[in-house]
Amino acid sequence: MIEFYCTVQEGCIPDSVRGSLEEAITQCCFSALGEDQGPVDIGWSEIPEGFGFRGGRPSTTSIVRGRIPDGCDTETRTKLLMSLGDEWCRITGAGKDEVLVAARDWSYKG
Amino acid sequence: MPFYRCLIPKDSISYEKRSEIATAITDVHCGISAAPRNFVHVAFIETEEGESVPNLYGTATIEPGTRYFIAGGNRAGRPPEVRETILNGIIDKFCDITSISHNEISGIITEGPASWTMEDGQILPEPGEEPAEWYAHDAVTD
Repeated sequence: MIEFYCTVQEGCIPDSVRGSLEEAITQCCFSALGEDQGPVDIGWSEIPEGFGFRGGRPSTTSIVRGRIPDGCDTETRTKLLMSLGDEWCRITGAGKDEVLVAARDWSYKG
Repeated sequence: MPFYRCLIPKDSISYEKRSEIATAITDVHCGISAAPRNFVHVAFIETEEGESVPNLYGTATIEPGTRYFIAGGNRAGRPPEVRETILNGIIDKFCDITSISHNEISGIITEGPASWTMEDGQILPEPGEEPAEWYAHDAVTD
């Protein structure tokens, strides 16, 4: 089981590309972790304009956070994070400084 | 990362005050930690009284016991007292700016391993192991 939750700034990630992003997230997870680790569930939330900041300034950054099966080694996790970031930028046209991607172990409670 | 989510009552804080708070949170965090300013994320989430909101991973809900609540997510690896100093500093600034009392606000900072996060195309360094070039990230939007 894999879950990702995408927090985006209003007006930055149009609804029309969210399907493509969900497909890309799923494929990145399957490629890095294996299809047998699926399914991949994806949720969304949107921060209204004027409510999101980065470095004290209005933010355009998307925050993509997920939970993946325990036991993922560093090399595999790094590959997953980088591929997710690359795909996000390719599909949305965002700069690499406009996406944060995190993937924590499923059972991590920090 | 870090990512601070401020749960606030609906229509309680103007844009100007939110902007001021976001800058203050950035000041506090960067004054204590070694993070570039451009890596400090702040979001304000308006809630109805008693409403809970999803956590950062959408896996559980945050149920604040106060009208205002700070939910922070930082890199793991700092001593607990540093985490407490950051949270207390943020709450102090929040109260200064909004004129709310300290008994109206609480918060928590959770942590995750730095290597589990990628930002600006790079895996985050562990606290205390930040290379000098990391601070070039602040030039991105300056």
